[in-house]
Amino acid sequence: MRTTITGLAIAASILGTLATVGPAAADTANIWVRADGSNFMPRVVDAFNKGHQNQIKLDIIPNAEIIPKYGAAAAGGTAPDALSLDLIYTPSFAAAGQLEDITDWAKSLPYFASLSPAHVKTGTYKGRIYGLPFSADSSVLIWNKKLFKQAGLDPEKGPTNWAEIEADAEKVNALGGDIKGFYFSGNCGGCNIFTFTPLIWASGGDILTEDGSKATLDTPQMRGAIDLYRSMVKKDLVPSGAQTDTGSNFFAAFATGNIGISPSGAFAIGALNTQYPDIDYGITFLPGKDGGWSSFAGGDNFVVTKGTTKVAVVKEFLDFAYSLEGQTILAKYGSLPVRGDIAKDALKDLDPRYQTAAEAMAKGRTPYSVVFNDLINSANGPWNQMMNEVFFGEDVDGAIANAQETMQSIIDSAPQK
Amino acid sequence: MLDALLMSARFAEDPTPGLRPDPPLKGEGDVALTEDHGMTTITAISAPARAYKLVGAGRRQWIGLLYVAPAVALVVVFFIVPLCMTAWMSLHNWPLMGAHSFIGLDNYWAILRDTRFWNALKFTGYYTVVVTIAIFAVAFPLALFIERPRQLTGFYRTSFFMPAVIGFASASLLWSWLLNVDSGLFSPAAFELGLTEKKFNLLATFQPAFWSIIAMVVWKVAGFTMIILMTGLQSIPPDLQEAAMIDGAGPFARFRAITLPLMRRTLALALILSVAGSILAFDQFYIILRGGPRNQTLTAVYWIFNQSFVSFKLGYGAALSMVLLVILVALSLIQLRLLRNPEGVD
Repeated sequence: MRTTITGLAIAASILGTLATVGPAAADTANIWVRADGSNFMPRVVDAFNKGHQNQIKLDIIPNAEIIPKYGAAAAGGTAPDALSLDLIYTPSFAAAGQLEDITDWAKSLPYFASLSPAHVKTGTYKGRIYGLPFSADSSVLIWNKKLFKQAGLDPEKGPTNWAEIEADAEKVNALGGDIKGFYFSGNCGGCNIFTFTPLIWASGGDILTEDGSKATLDTPQMRGAIDLYRSMVKKDLVPSGAQTDTGSNFFAAFATGNIGISPSGAFAIGALNTQYPDIDYGITFLPGKDGGWSSFAGGDNFVVTKGTTKVAVVKEFLDFAYSLEGQTILAKYGSLPVRGDIAKDALKDLDPRYQTAAEAMAKGRTPYSVVFNDLINSANGPWNQMMNEVFFGEDVDGAIANAQETMQSIIDSAPQK
Repeated sequence: MLDALLMSARFAEDPTPGLRPDPPLKGEGDVALTEDHGMTTITAISAPARAYKLVGAGRRQWIGLLYVAPAVALVVVFFIVPLCMTAWMSLHNWPLMGAHSFIGLDNYWAILRDTRFWNALKFTGYYTVVVTIAIFAVAFPLALFIERPRQLTGFYRTSFFMPAVIGFASASLLWSWLLNVDSGLFSPAAFELGLTEKKFNLLATFQPAFWSIIAMVVWKVAGFTMIILMTGLQSIPPDLQEAAMIDGAGPFARFRAITLPLMRRTLALALILSVAGSILAFDQFYIILRGGPRNQTLTAVYWIFNQSFVSFKLGYGAALSMVLLVILVALSLIQLRLLRNPEGVD
């Protein structure tokens, strides 16, 4: 008798455990995001966690550390299940065999065709898809309406070609004092690929071939754009700090209210509205030499670590992020929507200037390279060195030739897998 | 560590204690044996014979090892093992992500052709020479100044030493603001005072940027070197200086013939610390200059960092580290040799 009771008790407790296991079987996936996403990502994750049984655990990692940290974690078997990754790294991560192939799932999404094309392009490696768009930032030109008015310019009309940029900057600069016509970060490869290359693209040139196998720096469009910047530097329309700015003043310089025109990003809209509500500014496209426009498509791709057991949770989360609710949260907290078909709806209650940025995004471009970091982003890479030399140095021809050669040799010695 | 070594050395010199046949048991504290073995065995004999046997050479050595074990463990875990792993990695194509493969000495052959590394090393050498001279040129007079007690000595010592307790990264951030052309101190101040026609960007060209870094490092490090040199100065017996003075030696002759030779060891220490620190320089060039203007201030460690964490080539970075390690060890040995026993001093 006694044993039966004990047996029953044990059975009951097992049943009890089983009963509690049921709901607790909900899975938790770990996701990383770089600090740039620290504004919108926690909001999206919170909204997801509230409405779903499966949960997401989010870690925010400093921008400069996320790549080495992820590499170390992957080597040690503790990588997160998924990662919101600066889209330019997707090819090199995919080439390293670090990412889960999500082609079939991606193509099954009914809205696949309206996902940001630039993201999908960088997320594709050798015909397979390894990354899908998560957050987006396009490059645009911003101008200070108050200074335009003071300088006798039409405050509602931004420059539409290179000659107008220079003429407007000169007029604003003439106001004197601390006021300067134009600002750019002269020692920041990442900033200039974002805001300088669109000038070239809009004029019909490019810096790399479509597949990233050849560097094409020495073009008339490149030289024309260089001449524009050189001329403005020479005329003293640019503060002298620009020459050594490694990006820390990329946004801050315009935010002082003393700069007439500055190339910037969609992120500046949110940042200016919330932190510098006094600055009256306009947003327009980065123009080509004689009109037309282009934009860099930046932001993050969502990638899944190879071999993770939480693929289902991760997909559920991404599905949510692509819903109108998810896209609206993203837009509200600093990222452009990545779904073209519902971008207008997601942005409808927001600052109308976002529409310009979203339009720029839809046609935005991203250079494709497995060695993007080496070529472009590195503070000591050939792109940044060339930018600094051609804008401020004496030997433009030598700087271009040198960079062309170095870039090509980096491309050629990249691991071919 | 030293004690343990001495202990085992003493037993090694006298192999008899463990091997000798047991003395006849006459009782505890037998002193008869002293006749045969002299002073060294007295302590042993005062112990019981069995204990004497147990505390043999082997056991003593084990106890010694036990005492040094924590230190050895630290060195093994935090130096020997990582060093071996670095050496092992340097023989691989080891990307930050994905599979690694053994490639033998290929990384080392690649270093031979890596002109940018050798340029970085050349710059590092130039920087080391300049900054070491600058540090000593500032630290030595400071040490002479604060060595003797005088009014406010404590105040001077503290204020000269203060920057040494700031981390290199924090100091670099501080100076990167001071040197900023638009919002910093030096350029705007010079402009406001009318010394320059317009704000001069100190970091835009090589010479001013390089010398700004030198100034920053001297400000940061000279206080520490000063303290080392001061202890050296204070260890010189005053009678020697007095004797020399009585012999009619002037201050310069006294400095050259007494102070300098007697400070040789201190100088060696300060020099090795300064040279090793400068060859490993990274923070200030990374934070203030980003290796600029135009990559002219890339140091060897900066290049290793770039290869490892910008190009993601950990194996190659490891090989570069091994090369730098060998260079550093060689330089330190040369310095020690030069400053050890010159011209029969000591």
